[in-house]
Amino acid sequence: MPLVTSPESGATTSAVPRRSTPVRVRGRRHHVHLAPYLFVAPAVVLFVVFMLVPIVYAIWLSFQTYHLVGGGILGHREQVFAGFENYGSVLADPNLIAGFGRLGIYGLIAVPLNLGLALLFALLLDAPASRAKRFSRTAIFVPYAVPGVVAALLWGFMYLPGTSPFSYITQSLGWGDIPFLENPGIFGSLANIAIWGVVGFNMIIIYTSLRGIPSEMYEAARLDGANELQIALRVKIPLATPALVLTAIFSLIGTLQVYGEPTTLKPMTNVISQSWVPLMMIYRDAFLTDNLPSAAALSVVLALGTVVVSAIVLLLANRRNSGGVA
Amino acid sequence: MRSRIIASLATLAVAGLALTGCSSGGGDSDASDSGPVTLSFWSWAPGTKQIVDTWNKSHPDIQVKYTDAGGGNDSSAKLLTASRAGNAPDLSAVEYTTLPAMIVADVPLDITRYVKDVKKNYTKGTWDQTTFDGHVYAVPQDVGPMAFPYRWDKLKEYNIPVPTTWEDFDKAGVAIHNADPKVSLASLPADQFGFYGGVATQAGGSWWSIKDGKWTVGIADEASLKVADFFEKMSKDGAITTEPLLTPEWNKQVNDGTMLSWPSALWAPGVIQGVAPETDGKWELGPLPQWTAGDTAVAYQGGSGVIVTKDSKHPKQAAEFAKWYNASEEGATLLLNVGNVYPAAISGQEAAKSSKPPALMPQQTDYYSVAAKIASNTIPVTWGPDFNVAQTTFTDALNKAIQNGTPWRNAFIATQNAVVKDMKQSGYKVTNQ
Repeated sequence: MPLVTSPESGATTSAVPRRSTPVRVRGRRHHVHLAPYLFVAPAVVLFVVFMLVPIVYAIWLSFQTYHLVGGGILGHREQVFAGFENYGSVLADPNLIAGFGRLGIYGLIAVPLNLGLALLFALLLDAPASRAKRFSRTAIFVPYAVPGVVAALLWGFMYLPGTSPFSYITQSLGWGDIPFLENPGIFGSLANIAIWGVVGFNMIIIYTSLRGIPSEMYEAARLDGANELQIALRVKIPLATPALVLTAIFSLIGTLQVYGEPTTLKPMTNVISQSWVPLMMIYRDAFLTDNLPSAAALSVVLALGTVVVSAIVLLLANRRNSGGVA
Repeated sequence: MRSRIIASLATLAVAGLALTGCSSGGGDSDASDSGPVTLSFWSWAPGTKQIVDTWNKSHPDIQVKYTDAGGGNDSSAKLLTASRAGNAPDLSAVEYTTLPAMIVADVPLDITRYVKDVKKNYTKGTWDQTTFDGHVYAVPQDVGPMAFPYRWDKLKEYNIPVPTTWEDFDKAGVAIHNADPKVSLASLPADQFGFYGGVATQAGGSWWSIKDGKWTVGIADEASLKVADFFEKMSKDGAITTEPLLTPEWNKQVNDGTMLSWPSALWAPGVIQGVAPETDGKWELGPLPQWTAGDTAVAYQGGSGVIVTKDSKHPKQAAEFAKWYNASEEGATLLLNVGNVYPAAISGQEAAKSSKPPALMPQQTDYYSVAAKIASNTIPVTWGPDFNVAQTTFTDALNKAIQNGTPWRNAFIATQNAVVKDMKQSGYKVTNQ
């Protein structure tokens, strides 16, 4: 605002403002304001069409239900307003609680291992003594480039007793098959696929953050007599906390959205049900049992849950880290 | 301010709906009946492309573009979604089991007036699979009377006669398991809802039935619960396993001769041949084991028809292709020889009698007379509008029962309850309490 008006008022020395001034001001303001809108327009349009509209549509859909109309033995279904009916039945479904329980077990395995390994790899890469850094970094990162379904299929072959090289070894030793695809091994097997795929990505985030630490810090620590392990624990990890928080949130959201791995392994085992995790229930309702409104309601519940979990993690991290680098 | 946001959100939602509405016009905009048209067609049966090419060569005015939509279950989910979005293909293969659900979801067009002239090409039982309340929704393509493909060489090796009753089947399974625990007579996992429905029907059960406009669900009727108990006992005795089918694991067992049979239907030889071509000549097809010795009737498992969707702009031409593909002598013979399925049309089944046996059992010269005999005595099956609810509930519940060692009949009862509840909620008249 001041940017626009100041040259005008500066030029006008007369005490009586001319009538044309406000008009010109409005015109100029208009011109100045159009450009930024034009620049953000593509992003806004894409966001609206591919994010906002589907979200609003999903919320609207979650309040609908199908109602049978027409005679005959089959009839047709018509969409009608249902209020909170879908939310009621979705939240009352014992399968949902069980699904979240399985997510919990999976998350307890996958998240700490994922972060721990990513941090370990990043610290090792950052250590002055390590060799072949570029190769190792790429080698750890490469699985991230493998699409999730391909990775799950590939691991599926390595888990099935008939095709598994690991089970082949244990069979040869007379120990029998490794129960990769049975309970409770399935949790570890699924977590392994996810960790294998994403640990490299998290490692890069943490490594980048470590590279950003000024080397004076290390010099100071060394002058104080700290060895490499102490530097890693006392200097590097605290300073990389923002990156750790970021990767923790990524991992948590990734856990809540587990879908591809169990769905791909499902045909190979009997222990993964169609309601194994919440996203698989959403798929079941939307595409198998043709109940889109229920799927929409469950999606909204899951999205809200994700927001709440992420907010809690951020809050905890900020409290512990208050006044820190974050 | 807030009301303005809500108003603009509402506008956006409407705009979104309008967008999806627009997309239904995609594809061919030429709605007239003259001039060449291009039809899209989804299926998954092996050899379909070759058959479609044959049609395209002789019908320059009605060109068909074939897409492999990948298997019965995947393809039905895709079809439902595409139909919702208003851009379903003109034609699609649909399994008989999911056809009622498709009709309820308003996917297929009532094609009675286009196809009534080919009704005579089918037996009544076959035609009834695609007719509801006198309206025809699909042209039957292949039928799956239940049958029993088995490894004759291995049964001979173990000195076990080919089972003709389920009791014999049980004994054979136990004997094989005792001879070598690594070898199984068959795997009948929980996701084989169609199989369990078929053998329950064979035992006198009736999973869905309609009388006077009212549905009766019998997934937990007396006959079905006895079937549940019987297969549970077989599983516990080791006569059968319950490992998933068509996985790399199962395929390997079929290949190395540790999986000796697949109680299923007449379409199975083509599928087995696809995963284990090196076992050609070691298989034979026999009638499905019976509950009572001397009976011959079997139910259907699988089988599909071709629908014309409501989105099609050229329903007449689409029906024309569907009729040629499935009901004509040329089409049915191609289905038999190229598609390796058992055609639904009488002409195809007649042609089968003089055909060579499938590649999986070239030595079984009487294959098609065995098949014809099996197909001549079938029990009609009605599938409910919520087949998918039943299937997913059944699979999850039975898997749980198998893992926890709880009675299998509980899974049947759970499915029954879920189906009745779902049908009542949808608004169907159901006689069950």
